[in-house]
Amino acid sequence: MGRGVDGCANGRGNQSSSRNSCVAALGDRLTTSNSNLVSAIEAGTLGQRRANESGTTSGGSTVPAPSGSPRAMQNFTPPVTITGVNSVNGTSTFGGSSLSWTSGQAFDASKDISEAVVGKNLATKNNLSVGSTFKAYGATIKVVGIYDAGNDFANNGVFMSLVTLQRLSSQSGSITSAAATVDSADNLATATTAIKEALGSKADVTSSQDAADQLVAPLSSVAHISLLSLLGAVTAGAVIILLAMLMIVRERRREIGVMKAIGARNGSIMWQFMVEAITLTTLALVVGLGIGIAAARPITDSLVSTSVGSTQSTQTAVGPGSGPRGMGPGAALRSVGTSSAQTLTNVQASVGWPALVLGMLAALSIAVLGSAIPALIISNIKPAEAMRNE
Amino acid sequence: MNNMLVVQDLKKEFDQGGHKVAAVNGINLAVRQGEFASIIGRSGSGKSTLLSLLGALDSPTSGSIVIDGQDITRLHGPALSRYRRSTIGFVFQNYNLVPNLTALENVLLPMEFARLPKKQQVARAASLLEGVGITGDAQKRKPGKMSGGEQQRVSIARALANHPKLILADEPTGNLDSENGRRVFEILHNLTRSGKATVVVVTHDLEIAGRTSRVFQLMDGKLTT
Repeated sequence: MGRGVDGCANGRGNQSSSRNSCVAALGDRLTTSNSNLVSAIEAGTLGQRRANESGTTSGGSTVPAPSGSPRAMQNFTPPVTITGVNSVNGTSTFGGSSLSWTSGQAFDASKDISEAVVGKNLATKNNLSVGSTFKAYGATIKVVGIYDAGNDFANNGVFMSLVTLQRLSSQSGSITSAAATVDSADNLATATTAIKEALGSKADVTSSQDAADQLVAPLSSVAHISLLSLLGAVTAGAVIILLAMLMIVRERRREIGVMKAIGARNGSIMWQFMVEAITLTTLALVVGLGIGIAAARPITDSLVSTSVGSTQSTQTAVGPGSGPRGMGPGAALRSVGTSSAQTLTNVQASVGWPALVLGMLAALSIAVLGSAIPALIISNIKPAEAMRNE
Repeated sequence: MNNMLVVQDLKKEFDQGGHKVAAVNGINLAVRQGEFASIIGRSGSGKSTLLSLLGALDSPTSGSIVIDGQDITRLHGPALSRYRRSTIGFVFQNYNLVPNLTALENVLLPMEFARLPKKQQVARAASLLEGVGITGDAQKRKPGKMSGGEQQRVSIARALANHPKLILADEPTGNLDSENGRRVFEILHNLTRSGKATVVVVTHDLEIAGRTSRVFQLMDGKLTT
């Protein structure tokens, strides 16, 4: 990325808040020439072929050898990646997984201190434990923690303070990447534009807009399903109330006839049925709202998990075929899916006053119309006819 | 004494299978104020139809019904409701009380429709019920827990709620035993004796008809006497 990313490159300004943060990183490789660490990863078929063809690998343990030499194949090992970061908490490894500690603890990323955490595979390979030391760039580094990032590549790495790595590797003020996290997917585009304007040509700025879109996509689907369900419920409710009131009014046709015979106005009869319908609907509203509020969380969780599940399965299906095994776009897509799932797990259903008021008004309106229409029809019949045709 | 009820050339036809059947066919009659009149006749002679027309529960095909100087066949909408509420009281053979209301509440209903003050309503309803022998806790019972005689007496109290000038009773003793029938008849008769109302009663019972001051006999929709 180059030099001079203010506030993110020098260990200052990271994590300005719990939801907005900037994690800067400087990546380098430890080889047999600058470290005594031995990589925990054996060269795969691809690496061996490259070693055979070139006799060397960039950053790896290199032994010049003629093409096809058995010795070259034996001595080639992938490099150990070392990363300087200005915040351990916001750090994620290659592939997007975060660090979890198997022993020890994190180093103080804000200080220039010769301490590091190592991946569990690397620690095993080099017999390292908390308190052990290893050599890198001619300095002695103390192991303060051992992490597990969930995959072999990430567990073959070393993390240390950004300023320390910048000093040891003579790359003071440089970083290779910085990841800014925004508090909401809605602010992503604005934040990306602001960062591009601030950095200009010093760095390539890319955003996770696609990932953010994927993150929000399941919620859009949930919102769509919820809206359709609401419309369906309101329509069904309206039809049921109308039919129920029609039945009730028809059953009480004789009663309506009697009331008219003793002097009731049509308006009084309609009002009586509307009051009854409103009372019943209000009781049903109270019960329905109670059940709705209680069921909102499980239903939302179910809808969200179903939506995320289908998104993840799509992503996973795309992944493996899209790039080299475990390293290419497939891995990246899987990490996005995991991140979406983690974020959407925390989606909470809440019932706001506008929704409550609108729902109640809709129900009461349906009750009023559903009772008034049949009562009006019946009340226009002559009392003798209403009582005769029971 | 003035005529309370004057019926002229009254006709009511029903459409039955495409042709007209006259249930009431050119009736002329008059009932004086405070009189106790009865209408008798066989089933299907048009007695109940005539009573429905007098009570404005149905509208005639032609003719006029003048009650207390007002032709009710010309009334519509609120005026018709006001007539049913204030001028007449209707007593049905099968009582027609509202089943989910108590005896007292049933009597309150017409006063509710007339928008009388609530206190006045309750006092009058209780007084009317006591007048027909429904007292104490019986006033708080619902029709389902009352005998036929009690229900008919509640029905009479309801008919009297708004001081009607004319009481129309359709077979008021038809579903009652002789003792209760006699009691209901006495209540109706006392109303005319005290001059409070004119009563027209439809009945099969010739004994009851014989005790009224005037008898109209109906046959095939026409008066024979």
